[in-house]
Amino acid sequence: MRKSLFMMITVGVTLASAADLRSAIEVPDASAIIAKDLLGPAKKFTMPKGCISDDKEAIARGSFIFHNLNGKKAKENPPKGLSRKGADGKEKQYGNCVACHNIEGAKGGGNVGPDLTNYNEFFMKTGVRDNKFVYQKIADPRIDNPDTHMTVNLTTGLFTEREICDITSYIVSIKK
Amino acid sequence: MLAAALVGVLAFGGEQFAMSDADRAMYAEMLENNPADMDVESGSELLDEYADGDEGLAKFLGVSEDALPAYIAGFPRYIEKLGMVVGLGQTLQALMADNGHKPLALKSEDMFSMLAYTKSIANGENINIDVKANKQMKEAYALGDEVFNTERGGRGLSCMSCHSPDVIGTILRTQPLPDLGSKENKTAATWPAYRMTKSSMRTLQRRFQGCMNNALLAVIPLGSKEMVALEVYVTEKAKGREIAIPGLKR
Ligand code: HEC
Ligand code: HEC
Repeated sequence: MRKSLFMMITVGVTLASAADLRSAIEVPDASAIIAKDLLGPAKKFTMPKGCISDDKEAIARGSFIFHNLNGKKAKENPPKGLSRKGADGKEKQYGNCVACHNIEGAKGGGNVGPDLTNYNEFFMKTGVRDNKFVYQKIADPRIDNPDTHMTVNLTTGLFTEREICDITSYIVSIKK
Repeated sequence: MLAAALVGVLAFGGEQFAMSDADRAMYAEMLENNPADMDVESGSELLDEYADGDEGLAKFLGVSEDALPAYIAGFPRYIEKLGMVVGLGQTLQALMADNGHKPLALKSEDMFSMLAYTKSIANGENINIDVKANKQMKEAYALGDEVFNTERGGRGLSCMSCHSPDVIGTILRTQPLPDLGSKENKTAATWPAYRMTKSSMRTLQRRFQGCMNNALLAVIPLGSKEMVALEVYVTEKAKGREIAIPGLKR
């Protein structure tokens, strides 16, 4: 059965020339795909007015973005103001920050990045960090650390300023 | 010996790690009986049908059948007939064309099987890729290095973001970040491999695509110059490691 199929697609038994051989193999272009996909240079951002808030809904959105990968994988429905799909109709990407960071309530939190548990207590109250630092870190961590292994979230256009504010608000908030 | 190494890798407790006891039991069983053995076997039959098996392949590559295993352990290679550095899949496509057949697509299941069989011819050999063998290999290695380090995609990540020495071993969402060159992983020597989480056998280039997809990098096609270059780069990391195909992965 398999053999007969082979006979049908057999194009001849003569040996192919070098040029034929080369044209017989797949060598698709990838350079254009990569060129379109490149990360821009590190960018400094200014925190918009009213960025950090203790509004429950903003913090809930920030938390949801922190703990989930994307609209398809999220088990629970996103909170008010966030949807499973982006403006372009494609599934919305979230932060998946938990892949690298532990934090209150993390499920399967990673340790590629520092533990963000008790962030307010350890980093904010002590004055080691401020809102501006956290906002910039999430927007583009390369400003603080050019060799960072962390994701770039605003320069890439993955999130809006508002969303970076929501995530920042979540991290600096006092959690129960 | 292999089993001992795997026990080492899998002996994590606690819920932080993705492998449950049930997973581990399944893994142990699959070690005895890798489902991808069947793919390799069918790949062997396909190579017989398309190109006179090992003999036809050796002839096409211009080496003796005795020298074939060590030669295969050096892929990706610069093949003069093709005028470029190619992986085993592309070599098989050329071989098929040379035998008067329409080549299988690189991403076809039968191609994966044939590729796995072909690489398994080198089982027991150590990876002997020579990235300085000629100008073309030097260029491919340099390009692979560049692609591996290129930050891109929705999250601005490169392969290096997760596979650089300073993060290896840390945990990314329950998965320890693997060292692609280590004795334990010997990555390039163990792909094609059966992936338990995908219930199918995948090739090394297909595995790269998996990481691109997960990390939101635009996926580049199998066989592209950049993909082959990445394979050259990652294979060099496992140089000297013993080839054991098919591998078995989470
Ligand atoms: C691929 C791994 C990775 C991901 C994903 C990741 N981070 Fe990070 N993060 C790091 C690493 C590594 C550091 C420490 C190095 C540095 O500061 O750049 C860090 C540092 C930080 C810091 C600074 C902590 C401090 O005070 O020093 C904050 C805040 C932070 N990350 C938040 C986030 C948020 C929010 C997200 C998701 C939108 C996220 N991270 C996603 C790896 C990651
Ligand atoms: C966001 C993190 C991340 C990025 C970026 C990433 N990888 Fe991975 N990679 C992983 C993790 C985690 C694993 C192990 C997954 C598992 O065990 O299921 C892995 C596994 C692999 C493996 C299999 C290792 C083995 O021994 O079997 C290869 C090969 C690989 N990655 C290559 C690449 C290449 C090439 C790139 C860039 C195109 C890349 N990775 C980008 C996280 C990443």
